[in-house]
Amino acid sequence: MQKRWWVLFAVAFLSLAWARGDTLVIAQGVDATTLDPVNHQETPTGNVTANIFDNFYRRLPDGSYEPWLGEAKALDNLTWELKIKPGIKFHNGEELTAEVLKFNFDRLLDPKKPLKYSTYFKPIKKVEVTGKYTLKVYTEKPFPLFLTRLTYLWVVPKKYIEEKGADYFANHPVGTGPYKFVKWVKDQEIVLEANEDYWAGKPKVKRVVFRPIPEASSRVAELLTGGVDIITNLSPEAVPTVEGSGVAEVRSVPSIRNIFIVLDVKGEGPLHDPKVRLALNYAVDKEAIVKHVLGGFGVPVGCPLNPYMFGYDEALCEPFPYDPEKAKKLLAEAGYPNGFTFSMSAPSGRYLNDRQVAEAVVGQLKKVGVKVDLRIKEWSTYVKQILNRKLDTDAWMIGWGNAQFDADNTLFTLLYGGTVEGGPPQTKFSYWKDPEFDKYVLEAQQIVDQEKRKELYKKALERVRQGAPWIFLYQQKDIYGVAKRVKWQPRPDELLWAFDMELVK
Amino acid sequence: MIAFVVRRLLLVGVVAWGAATLAFFLLYLSGDPVDLLLPLDASPEARAELRRAYGFDDPLYVQYGRYLWKLAHGDFGVSLRSQEPALGLVLGRMPATLKLAGAGLLFALILGIPAGVLAALKKGTFAELLVMTLALLGQSIPVYFLGLVLIMVFGLKLHWLPISGYGTIRHLILPTITVGTFVTASIARLTRNGVLQELRSDYVRTARAKGLSERVVVYKHALRNAAIPVVTIVGLQLGTLLSGAVITETIFAWPGMGRFVLLAVEQGDFPVVQASVIVFALLLALVNLAVDLAYLWLDPRVRYA
Repeated sequence: MQKRWWVLFAVAFLSLAWARGDTLVIAQGVDATTLDPVNHQETPTGNVTANIFDNFYRRLPDGSYEPWLGEAKALDNLTWELKIKPGIKFHNGEELTAEVLKFNFDRLLDPKKPLKYSTYFKPIKKVEVTGKYTLKVYTEKPFPLFLTRLTYLWVVPKKYIEEKGADYFANHPVGTGPYKFVKWVKDQEIVLEANEDYWAGKPKVKRVVFRPIPEASSRVAELLTGGVDIITNLSPEAVPTVEGSGVAEVRSVPSIRNIFIVLDVKGEGPLHDPKVRLALNYAVDKEAIVKHVLGGFGVPVGCPLNPYMFGYDEALCEPFPYDPEKAKKLLAEAGYPNGFTFSMSAPSGRYLNDRQVAEAVVGQLKKVGVKVDLRIKEWSTYVKQILNRKLDTDAWMIGWGNAQFDADNTLFTLLYGGTVEGGPPQTKFSYWKDPEFDKYVLEAQQIVDQEKRKELYKKALERVRQGAPWIFLYQQKDIYGVAKRVKWQPRPDELLWAFDMELVK
Repeated sequence: MIAFVVRRLLLVGVVAWGAATLAFFLLYLSGDPVDLLLPLDASPEARAELRRAYGFDDPLYVQYGRYLWKLAHGDFGVSLRSQEPALGLVLGRMPATLKLAGAGLLFALILGIPAGVLAALKKGTFAELLVMTLALLGQSIPVYFLGLVLIMVFGLKLHWLPISGYGTIRHLILPTITVGTFVTASIARLTRNGVLQELRSDYVRTARAKGLSERVVVYKHALRNAAIPVVTIVGLQLGTLLSGAVITETIFAWPGMGRFVLLAVEQGDFPVVQASVIVFALLLALVNLAVDLAYLWLDPRVRYA
């Protein structure tokens, strides 16, 4: 009798250990809001859906993209041809055909029921099925971003949604991706199971569980006790604890997010003078900020872009060297030998140690005689002030994560000044007016030839470098805590794609 | 008695209306939530479209009227984030919160009342000093700090209990202690004071003179009378428990209302915030009614007309 109990116990224990051994647990700060892959705006939601669905084009870790579910080719400036790989099936057996893909476009373009990703596909006029696996997409104007936008086209099943309805689908998703949906207990866990018949190969991890753990220190504690395998947004302060634990380690990757300070260059104040703006760039010690305030989790950068972006140019993005003497000289030349005073806003708790970074900048500028009146803002108030152009300061610190991986989403959106005759007005984030720059970025929107676009962005970056409309700071790193048994390197787009992961002994 | 309950229930309705109105205007003072819902680089047209879709471009009185009209029909609106009915989302999180608050209260009663009685009976001894010191500590330690210390000691160092999550009794232990400690301390102090006061009263002297055993004197007579302020405090503390649950649920990843509401506030998900304010208000109003009714049973002198 006694013996039997022991055997039972041992079996129970072993099966438990085994179950855990094949399951990878990922802890994020919040739960998914929906499992419809094209109707959300949050990274944590996208991380779950990316494992269940496939996008038409896939983003690679270096920021470039490649064909995934199929291929697209420009026939002319306004027409694209799409070819789907034959034989791809959804988890419910439905086949991926041109009809299904057209349904996906139509769903996104339906003006009556806009989805959160609809805006990425706005220029599309019409989609036409030309064969079982081929279709044509017509656009209203040249759409050079079409291929990069195809990475947002997470493909959903037609028949399943038509039969079960969009609401049911958003809670019980069916995709073509490497993992099948098992269950979603709200605010507790989302369980996924490997799709053994995945068209791109068998996933190595059998089971993936996403758990929302809002409190950062609780996430660290779970990682250290082996409750979870990957945690996101590790704070630099927790790095030594994780590194010293023996069970987990810190892995980081430069992110797509740049941190910088926008200068309000209009009007007649000192910031109107490009010499003053250059002086400010020389007066800030980016290296020291990254080392001492960010614990090394940043990369100084001297332009609005970073190496992942299409249009980035290494020479033109070289960080401005720290040279307080040169800064003082430039200030004297501009007529401010004794410096001047300006005001600056910054958020707190939005980006990695943002408040401390702003304070460090203030301290460094003081050394060249420039006084900064720093105002820390609560995020929702700050966003409203920025969007309505109602900031009460001469400068503002912000981060910009360009998830399109194309210069357009940074250069046009943040710096286009509206000086081109008949062109769009100045964007709401831009305080700078440079006619030449405006001409280049607008032209780059009108053509699909990527080599020519690259040339235009190079010229545009030269204008930015000379005009220095911002104080350029650094590219922020994303920090993860990862159990040693997980073979995986973090990606710049923050994606937690379990198909990339493997559990080792 | 029945008239009293009916009148009070009508008042609960007034409370709900007040809470709904407050929630509406406080949120709208902070501006429409469209700016937070869309990414920074969303086009002005997309913002205008969303604003129209949710009716944020109507005059405030129109929005308020529509909001009340819908509420009256049980329609709390749809979450701006997940597109699901707000009330359902909030109520779906309620069992976890009630479970935590209930466990916290039970913990507080089981520990707090005996501790209070002990302190009263052993007045002037080391035992009283110990109870009262612990009670003072329990009332002054921040919930946030206590939660993290418990995680460090029982989760990280000793590996005795799970750190976060939901499901088993073991998951319940640390959050219960975290949320219940403040209330335990309050109840212990109040019970001690109450019992001490009652022990000095005439009826206790009479009871003792009758030759009743000390046990009966203390537990049947003194404690029952000392219970009235304790019941009051339990009613009031439910508010503390629920607000403590916001922090506790966040620390322990407990899938309850508190943590859910906190997130909704951060994200500007108005319908969810409004629904939860109303649900919280109703919950507290009903608890207060229950407390008032409990007086009837505890103290025959209390009469409601």
